[in-house]
Amino acid sequence: MRISRLVALACCSWLFGVSTQAQDAVSFRKDLAPILLSNCVACHGAKKAEGSYRVDSFARATQPGDTGAAPITAANAAESELLRRIISTDESERMPLEGDPLPEEQVALVRRWIEQGAVYDAENPQADLAVIMPPPVHPDPPEEYSQTLPVTALKFSTDGARLFVGGYHEVTVWSAADGQLAQRIKNVDQRTYGLDLSPDGTRLAVACGSPGQRGEVRVFRVESGELLNVLGTMPDAAFDVAYSPDGKRLAACAADGAVRVYDTESGKEELTITSHSDWVTAVTWNNDGSKLATASRDKTAKVFDAKTGELTITFSEHGQPVKGVAFHPNGTEMYSSAADGRVMRWKLEDGKKSADVVRFGGEAYKLESGEDMFFAVSADKTARQFQLADHKLVRDFRGHNEWILSSAYHGPTKRLATGSFDGEVRIWNVDDGKEVVQFRAAPGYVK
Amino acid sequence: MSNCGLGRNTRLVIVASLAAFLLCGSLWGQEASGEGSGIASPVSVDVFPAHVRLTSPRQQMQLVVTAATADDHRYDATHSATYVSSDPQVAVVENSTVLPRGDGKADITIQYGEHSKIISVEVTGQGEPAPVSFYHGALAALTKQGCNAGACHGSPSGKGGFRLSLRAFDPELDKLTLIREEFGRRTNPHQPEASLLLLKPLMKAPHGGGLQMTKRDPAYALLRDWIAEGCQLDPPSAPRCVRIEVYPPSGRVLKLSEATNIGREQQLCVLAHFDDGSVRDVTRLAVYSSSDEQVAEVSTTGLTKGQDRGEAAIMVRYMEFVESVYLTFVREAPGFAWSNPPANNYIDELVYGKLQQLKYLPSELCSDDEFLRRVYLDTIGVLPTLEETQTFLADAAPDKRSKVIDRLLERPEYARFWALKWGDLLRMTKKAVGESGVHKYHQWLLRSFAANEPYDQFAREVLTASGSTLANPAANFYRTTADVNDTVESVAQVFLGARLQCAKCHNHPFERWTQDNYYGMASFFHRVQRKTAGRPDESFIFTTRSGEVTQPRTGQTMKPWLPVAGEVDIAADADRRKAFADWLTQKENPYFAKIEANRIWAHLFGRGIVDPPDDFRDSNPPSNKALLEALAKDFAEYKFDRKHLIRTILNSRTYQASSRPNEFNKDDVRFFSHYQPRLLSAEQLLDAICHVTGVAEKFGALPADMKATQLPSPDMAENEFLKIFGQPERQTVCECERGDDSNLGQALQLFNGPVVHGKLRHEANRFRVLLNAGKPDEDIVRTLYLAAVCRQPSEGELKASLAHIASKPDNRVEALEDVCWAILNTNEFLFQH
Repeated sequence: MRISRLVALACCSWLFGVSTQAQDAVSFRKDLAPILLSNCVACHGAKKAEGSYRVDSFARATQPGDTGAAPITAANAAESELLRRIISTDESERMPLEGDPLPEEQVALVRRWIEQGAVYDAENPQADLAVIMPPPVHPDPPEEYSQTLPVTALKFSTDGARLFVGGYHEVTVWSAADGQLAQRIKNVDQRTYGLDLSPDGTRLAVACGSPGQRGEVRVFRVESGELLNVLGTMPDAAFDVAYSPDGKRLAACAADGAVRVYDTESGKEELTITSHSDWVTAVTWNNDGSKLATASRDKTAKVFDAKTGELTITFSEHGQPVKGVAFHPNGTEMYSSAADGRVMRWKLEDGKKSADVVRFGGEAYKLESGEDMFFAVSADKTARQFQLADHKLVRDFRGHNEWILSSAYHGPTKRLATGSFDGEVRIWNVDDGKEVVQFRAAPGYVK
Repeated sequence: MSNCGLGRNTRLVIVASLAAFLLCGSLWGQEASGEGSGIASPVSVDVFPAHVRLTSPRQQMQLVVTAATADDHRYDATHSATYVSSDPQVAVVENSTVLPRGDGKADITIQYGEHSKIISVEVTGQGEPAPVSFYHGALAALTKQGCNAGACHGSPSGKGGFRLSLRAFDPELDKLTLIREEFGRRTNPHQPEASLLLLKPLMKAPHGGGLQMTKRDPAYALLRDWIAEGCQLDPPSAPRCVRIEVYPPSGRVLKLSEATNIGREQQLCVLAHFDDGSVRDVTRLAVYSSSDEQVAEVSTTGLTKGQDRGEAAIMVRYMEFVESVYLTFVREAPGFAWSNPPANNYIDELVYGKLQQLKYLPSELCSDDEFLRRVYLDTIGVLPTLEETQTFLADAAPDKRSKVIDRLLERPEYARFWALKWGDLLRMTKKAVGESGVHKYHQWLLRSFAANEPYDQFAREVLTASGSTLANPAANFYRTTADVNDTVESVAQVFLGARLQCAKCHNHPFERWTQDNYYGMASFFHRVQRKTAGRPDESFIFTTRSGEVTQPRTGQTMKPWLPVAGEVDIAADADRRKAFADWLTQKENPYFAKIEANRIWAHLFGRGIVDPPDDFRDSNPPSNKALLEALAKDFAEYKFDRKHLIRTILNSRTYQASSRPNEFNKDDVRFFSHYQPRLLSAEQLLDAICHVTGVAEKFGALPADMKATQLPSPDMAENEFLKIFGQPERQTVCECERGDDSNLGQALQLFNGPVVHGKLRHEANRFRVLLNAGKPDEDIVRTLYLAAVCRQPSEGELKASLAHIASKPDNRVEALEDVCWAILNTNEFLFQH
């Protein structure tokens, strides 16, 4: 019990960088919000509001619940119902109910914050805790991996010499020539589901998150691995990111069903598209950056006007969660892949299917497209290459022993990288279909 | 006026819940102590199991300590005993569970009071890895916490995008969902504690299902470790569970006391037996439920606590294995003394045995008038005539009750009334078999009951019927059951007392019936063909010589399968239905005689020994197992003679007990200590109203003298009154289709409905005829009472009636209408009691 509590405490401090210096003024955004979010919001939030009391924003946290007792009494810790309930010795009312009590350090923070006047130090008191909290400093990745990690995101560097791979609390960077580990970009959330490079190749956007808990879009300087910006925080994982062709905008999609478009210069969220009713798992731009296409677990693919966010067309013929999308260069058609392994071609004009491309023997995942080619990967352990113009199958890539979950294509060097469930990455020459190199994207992992 | 009424049941419920509420207060707060429990000091203790062998660090063993008193009473002392290990480096005991600490041998000394017992413990394999099994560990943990229950992620579409198979019946699907789906989103081997699979039920992440697990639950450690070990699957060579064993076995009697917890508790121990011969304690992983929470509650750790006297089946489930343990709870009742009532036959002996054990005192014998009314209604469905009542009441013969029973069983109304009951079960309707079809089918049924056809022959005749439904009306059975699924479900419910519908799509979640069983049984009826014949209302039933059932989930061709017997081989050209009937009607068949005996009992008492009477299952135990078995045995040995069984029951004191409860049985509703009053059935009530008023009801084109209790089918003559009082439409074979709830429509009918009103106003009704014949008021009132409730009015009743008539000197007939109306609205008239 004691050990697990220590671990929990340690995790909290890593995750949220809780300040433990006793003399400082306690901050609601930095200190209180993380405590409330990880211990209280599950029962006192939007999904569940036990005792009609919610703490998912400062404004709500100050409103009494059913008992009528004032939860937060500025400068008067003795009267605070919130504090009383987290320190009560009566198990039937001590919060979190039926859970371990809060660590003393956290209780002390709450007490001091109230004693110091219960000041709200963010702008909008109605804002969600997750939004006002400073971006967390994520724990370091394991020095050496004890387990492999499914490879869920891949991206080649601009020159094709390096391959970025989503790791555990990191993005690992590998030599595309020999599969040697070159760099580790840290301060990333648990899992990375999408990667993209700015057109100038200097910035790496990462769609990451902790499943069911948080999602983020982080931007790193490729050269140094330095964190430049945290663009947004979401209540569940972010699944994909894509720079617009001119690099001025960045689109991201997440489990909350929203597609967000950021201005890369200011980092401001310019557009929020909430048309999908379930996870949005992939997002991509057309060639001139005027349109955005998305794939969603709500069994549709959609196309939006990238300026206004207006829905242009919905494709719903998959009848299955859609996993990937790609624009046809003719500007009038799309490709999409779905959970039943089918890849379809359809028209932007009316959202009707124009062709069945292929049916894999398992789920198909994100589509990857280059100038004249596109690639699809599947749980049936194969990757396939098609001509964009006529979706003619060029070749397939076989060799993975596990489900292939992700891919990246580098046109100039004619390289395709594929990543599988068992943590393996393979790089192929798309001219002859031969494997160039393979490695396990798990630093220090020994089988 | 007898003490029966609509309010009784409601009051009972309130009293029972109040009692349960008050008991709870004393349940938890008390230190265990034998004082005041009414239990004698123990003379010995016994420990289960006698020897403990733990071969991996994950194994443990729940101990169950049983104390025995000088009068041979046994009670559970598991949570009062102390445990000392001879070598804590090898094994320790926490919460009465032996936990391994290191390889070696140790003795555990169990001390309870002055008595002690030593058991040996052998511990091996502690240094070796013991990975958590996917099936027996991780999936068992999810099942234990209820994650894959039907209302949660086990529903066909899952919940919140997370779908598990119902109680882990499809591990292949669960494997994909837990390990791979959405890129392994739910399990995180890098940081197991951060896995979504754990965070959600712990409410560390928002979870629509709320808090379902704590870190103290064994399920948490199992899931966490399984994830930490990399979510490994079971190797094909891994041992498989083949059965579970529960200790103590059924039959233990526990004594409740207000003063102490001692005696009311029973810790269970659940052992899983594997195909490699190994045995593991799964007490903490099994799922428990009680058949009657009012009697006994059971905790998630298998600790049963008695709440009230009675019996409860504790159902224990571990993965696909289900066992039930029957426990009896008794309580000292201050002032209780057994009255030693004489037993008329074995029924009384067995009922009294149970009552004595549970400290219920049977009610006195009912009065002659009560008996006569009761036995008429139960046997022939109608009230006795004035003459019959007067003759019976005047008869001084000591055996007059037996004689009237014999006479009633030979009356033609007997066959007509019981044909109504079986008409329900056989779904006899004009809609299904046509008008002439119903007549023929009904006539066939009447003949069968009139001739007292043995029940086994009756069943065989129904199940193997072929040919024209007009020439052989029994073949209509295959017309009313329209396809093979309908047939197998109907046969199971009517003849096996099993509700099999769930097993059509998946293994029954609570019972033994599997999907394979369903289709195995269906193969007996798969070859039955139905085709229309030349004449209207005629069908032709025949069987083909080929055709097999395919199990829809596995695609397997099913061999004919029978409960207990298993798969059977049947000659290729034989009618498989005959093989089924042969098996069904054997004297030894564990279902056949019991179901019918219970159905007859339920008809006569308004409640089955198993209740509902067509819902036999482990988790719905009989209230008196010995009684049910004795009835079934008697029935089978007496060549399935239904009249014999009915006669035996009617002659028992149990049947003839008064409906007035006493101080010591007023809260009994299931052990037959007194007769349970019940509203007359729709048909009985209508006939009774006709009888009292002397005005018959006309049913469409049916013969004028046909009574409601003798109708061939409800849709032959639609009658609003009957429908309102719960006459079934005969759409299912379920006994529950006959409604027994009271409603406003019924009250309005009785208050001033067209039936009651019409008959009270009828020119030739009973009291008008008497009035016109110049009878004095008193005679008329006496006659009405005798007709309605088989007795003379009490002095008070007579006085009140006469006073009312006297108050309307200008309108005697209207005053008599009032009196008759009042009688028809008394509980004594409306109820059978």
